Amino acid sequence: MKNSGYVVLVIILIFLLGKACIRRDIPETQIQKQEVQQEKLTLDFYPANRKNVTINGVDYIQTDLPAGKFGGTMINSTIGEGPKTFNPFNSKDATSSTFADIMYDGLVTIDPVSGQYIPKLAKSFEISGNDYIVHLRHGVKWSDGKPITADDVYFTWKNIILDGYGNTSTRDSISVSGKLPTVQKLDDYTVKFTTPEPFAPFLASLSTPVAPKHIFEPAVKKGKEFFDTFMSTNINPKDLVTSGPFRMVEYVPAQRAVYKRNPDYYMINSKGEKLPYLDKIIYLIVGDANNEVLKFEGGELDVIGVKGSDVPRFKERQTHGDFSMINLGPDTGTMYLSMNLNDRKDENGKPYVDPIKGKWFRDLNFRKAVDLVIDRENMVYNIANGFAKPLFTPESLNSIFLNEELKPYPRDVEKAKEFLRASGFTWDKKGRLRDKDGNRVEFDLLTNAGNSEREAIGVMVKQDLEDLGMKVNFKPIEFNSLVNKLLSTYEWDMVVMGLTGSPLEPNGGKNVWLSNGALHMYNQRKPAEAGVNLLPWEKELDYLFEKGATALSFEDRKKYYDRYQEIIYNEKPMIYLYSPVRISAIRNKFKNVYPTSLGGIIHNIEEIYIDTGGGNGHN
Amino acid sequence: MDIIKYILKRILQTIPLLIIVSVVSFALIRLSPVDPLAELRLNPSISQETLDRERERLGLDKNIAVQYGLWAKSFIKGDLGITSNGESVAQKLKERIPNTLLLTTIVIFLTWLVGVPLGIIAAVKWKSPLDRILTVLTSIGMAIPSFFFAVLLLIFAVKTGWFPIGGLTSSNFLEMNLGQKILDITKHLILPVTVLFTISLAGLQRQMRGNLLDVLDSDYVKFARAKGISEFKVVFKHALRNAVNPMITLLGFEFAGLLSGAALTEYVFQYPGLGRLILEAVMKSDINLVMASLMMGAIMLILGNLIADLLLIFTDPRIRTGGIK
Amino acid sequence: MFKEIFNGLIKDKFAKIALWVLFIIYFALAFANFIAPYSKDFANRSLAYAPPSKIFTIDEKGKLSRPYTYNYKRSFDETNFSIYRLDRSQKYYLKFFARGEDGKFHLVTVDKGGQLFLLGTDINGRDVFSRILFGGRISMTIGFLALFVLFPIGMIYGGVSGYFGGKVDAVMMRIAEGIMSIPSFYLLIILASILPAGMTSIQRFMLIVIILAFIGWAGFARVVRGMVLSIKNQEFVQAAKSIGASDFRIITKHILPQTTSFIIVAITLSIPSYILSESGLSFLGLGIQQPDASWGNMLKEAQVFSNIIYRPWLLTPGFLIFIAVLSFNLIGDTIRDILDPKSKIR
Repeated sequence: MKNSGYVVLVIILIFLLGKACIRRDIPETQIQKQEVQQEKLTLDFYPANRKNVTINGVDYIQTDLPAGKFGGTMINSTIGEGPKTFNPFNSKDATSSTFADIMYDGLVTIDPVSGQYIPKLAKSFEISGNDYIVHLRHGVKWSDGKPITADDVYFTWKNIILDGYGNTSTRDSISVSGKLPTVQKLDDYTVKFTTPEPFAPFLASLSTPVAPKHIFEPAVKKGKEFFDTFMSTNINPKDLVTSGPFRMVEYVPAQRAVYKRNPDYYMINSKGEKLPYLDKIIYLIVGDANNEVLKFEGGELDVIGVKGSDVPRFKERQTHGDFSMINLGPDTGTMYLSMNLNDRKDENGKPYVDPIKGKWFRDLNFRKAVDLVIDRENMVYNIANGFAKPLFTPESLNSIFLNEELKPYPRDVEKAKEFLRASGFTWDKKGRLRDKDGNRVEFDLLTNAGNSEREAIGVMVKQDLEDLGMKVNFKPIEFNSLVNKLLSTYEWDMVVMGLTGSPLEPNGGKNVWLSNGALHMYNQRKPAEAGVNLLPWEKELDYLFEKGATALSFEDRKKYYDRYQEIIYNEKPMIYLYSPVRISAIRNKFKNVYPTSLGGIIHNIEEIYIDTGGGNGHN
Repeated sequence: MDIIKYILKRILQTIPLLIIVSVVSFALIRLSPVDPLAELRLNPSISQETLDRERERLGLDKNIAVQYGLWAKSFIKGDLGITSNGESVAQKLKERIPNTLLLTTIVIFLTWLVGVPLGIIAAVKWKSPLDRILTVLTSIGMAIPSFFFAVLLLIFAVKTGWFPIGGLTSSNFLEMNLGQKILDITKHLILPVTVLFTISLAGLQRQMRGNLLDVLDSDYVKFARAKGISEFKVVFKHALRNAVNPMITLLGFEFAGLLSGAALTEYVFQYPGLGRLILEAVMKSDINLVMASLMMGAIMLILGNLIADLLLIFTDPRIRTGGIK
Repeated sequence: MFKEIFNGLIKDKFAKIALWVLFIIYFALAFANFIAPYSKDFANRSLAYAPPSKIFTIDEKGKLSRPYTYNYKRSFDETNFSIYRLDRSQKYYLKFFARGEDGKFHLVTVDKGGQLFLLGTDINGRDVFSRILFGGRISMTIGFLALFVLFPIGMIYGGVSGYFGGKVDAVMMRIAEGIMSIPSFYLLIILASILPAGMTSIQRFMLIVIILAFIGWAGFARVVRGMVLSIKNQEFVQAAKSIGASDFRIITKHILPQTTSFIIVAITLSIPSYILSESGLSFLGLGIQQPDASWGNMLKEAQVFSNIIYRPWLLTPGFLIFIAVLSFNLIGDTIRDILDPKSKIR
């Protein structure tokens, strides 16, 4: 009796085992082909025409998109810990900048299709030589009712930006060989900027927010230290004086920020009604991408950026879901592999890089061999689920400055071996690669731990290089320690990293490419070492970046930037791997959605409205 | 009077403890090669000038003993400093502590509500199948990796749509009335509470079981039984009280344990609590934030222990009459 | 005493099952090289996230056959996502005790050119089943090793502190309490982030062991001290003192042996928490690093929503952690009931 339980248990186990072992081979019937719905959204189709109209002394922007319904909420999200500051001149991270962009308008903005700069808070602007004359709109007000005038613009530029308050990145980006532009107030609604030399990227900097003088002036008077903590996230959102289409009304740390419509915004629809349509925008602060996907799936989010690996899931849901996806084209982010070309010594006379290894890395044939053996294609398939493009140039694939002449090439192990042979590398009996002095080729490959994507790339690169007989010790380390190695101690051999760039302005990459740039990691120099043993092509890059920024016409600039890409393509200090494709999803209830590759999916947030009845939108 | 003296003595005793905690943590964090400015440095639009200013502001250019001295000085003054992003640490803690207290209080309350009776049952029915089954069941709860359990529950929430996906309040929280607000928070709390409850139940149940067994074995219970008092009365009138007392001393540790155990759960559920804050701060080596939160954790632990001891003085006649050691 | 424990474990149904489970797990890990169909470094990158191989024993005509499998072939359909289909053009028969792709003998492998992914593959096209075996070696031993490091320290520390008492005790206990007051998980993360980069995987493994030990010793020392306090006034200790035995001898030969049963119980009950700590650490990316496997870092992939829905085989390490930890708990509980039923060890 007592044993009967065991007998039953054993019988069940045997049965289960048998069931697992005995499987009949029945060929699947035709796999049902999934109906793939036509994507509802089309990329880079933005039919809006904007013009300035003056009604009752107020200079409005009028758009001619179909008029929509007012009201409703859009729930968006940002990944990370949330904004660090609400002071637009202090933001050093993407989330703070996103939040600032909603609340504060700049003088100009980017045309989401052409990438040209068009007036925004400015009614118009004229450029003649080094002079930029900006005319402001009449009758536009801050959220506390005070008018926005030339005083605000002058103050913003003179006392905040040019005097180096807060994050000085705007100031740095417009200094030409140490000289800064000047600003002048011509009258209450006209401001003139003058650059010391012809300087093409200056117009872009006019998109920085304009600050309300009556709020910021007291803070500026208290000095830079005070300014750094001014308008921190502890501030009551109702005290923020802003100019954008939405005003912040609630901020719950680590959870969300709620924006309400600005009823006095200077944009109107074709019927003359004041935009924006949406009553509220909520930004959820989501800690990581996985949680964001879950929230979208659970209906708590309206807009989301979709990772390649999640696309199948979204496709499947899209067919009977209430949202559409759009492929926005290549992302500005790039993934690359880099080698340490540094041949200098630290204060104690110890070389940063082991001289034996350094010799390999500085050997162009070695770099070419490494480049040729990288299997970009499978990286794209495995890691991004096919939603990425192999990359061979430093400019991302959607850059307007992309050098189209630089052609992709396939993986070629034999050719790679030839390059190695040409530099005297040999293989011993066991197939291990040795340099011409007989040293075993062995080095460390670093990336930041915790990022599954990069870890997977690292594993693949290691395998690829081992096909050449190299021994690669792959070591993912903590992100902050990695940066410390790259930029301070220079103790690294090879690294897999990513950087983001701008599709419009290659000058933003000067920190990476100038020989004394702060992110010139592949051959980082201490400030004291500026200009020390420049490689010939490093010298040329310095020249190209200086020329590229001061040339004015697009064609002239393109020539310099084409050459810079060619140098990187040939010299391979950084070996580019792939550039992910940006995919966004948005609920179908939103109308007037016209995604563009430059502006993303909600660049025209003022014109987007909600229509749950379906029907009369452009869809 | 004795009690006040005792409290004062206990508080004085905690000072060296706090010093040890702060020195150990400070040294450890500073020893790590992690660069608190790494994120800024990798941002192509941040200039060297900005970086130098940040470095100076955070005191990263001074040696470690000086840095500790500076930190300790301002800590004693009550100034917790600023995070590496320039936010006030005190403010950040103020935002998070209530949320963490809410979560941990509920979890502790629930585990006591369930764990203590289960412990009693197990002890009374010692060596019976019921005892064994209870142990096995609680063991199952203890064996699931908390983050894994949390991820599975989140998927469950998405699939069924019964629960919100992480966070503490819904996005339209501001417009709700009080009843709706309470309901909203409750809904958000259910899943994280489930995870923490499941993993901490086993410990409490075992503790209670062990204590009660201990007491049931003692002379005075044997004596009470010998007097012919019913077993029910023996357990609930005499033994139970003495078995619960030592549990009170655990409260402090339980709180610290939860603070630590909740980190991964908060991380997966995106709960705006202290655990997640510390986790993020540690990963970034945000020294002021880490130090303040660790000190806060230690102070809470010490306070918890102190309160537990005081409670004991009032509940345990043996300590009251025997004087305070 | 060990006989007593063993008999007790065999008598308890749950503990017996748990013992068997652990035996099977450790046996499989010990012979991982043989049992795993693939070597540690195997990867087939054109087969990322391939589902588990289907093994057939009845062929398409309905006849019983030697077990065989088909290969998976990846294709990208028009919407660009990868789909695996069985390539029915060729059967690959399973071979037992045969040479595998690395030329070594394996328990089970397939004909040349075939694939045998019992639990599918991961993002790099590595066999999950094989990695579970190799990763288990790390996950299932790290706790034991940490205990071997921390127990002697804790015992001696607690023993000395309790034996001498007075100021020595006060100072030593304050230090131990100081370490205990830092919430352990954060201490763990801080310590893990200090680990110098560029260590070999063995060094990293050993340092994680030491870190786990560093966190655990204080609590243990405190309990030992409590026990020593009560033991040291017993007659046999006084007797040993009176015949002039040295303090060290009294502590190690007379007092600490009295705590053996407590130690055995504490060891079995604390192993699970170290296994869980390692997995939590690796889950955050601070523990065992790629390309090495551990159950914790394999579970990282289970964070991704799409993986849970489409690639449930990636969750296996989570269930294995669960089973192993549960088994340790059940055994620990039983041992406790045998040796020290009133134990307060959690």
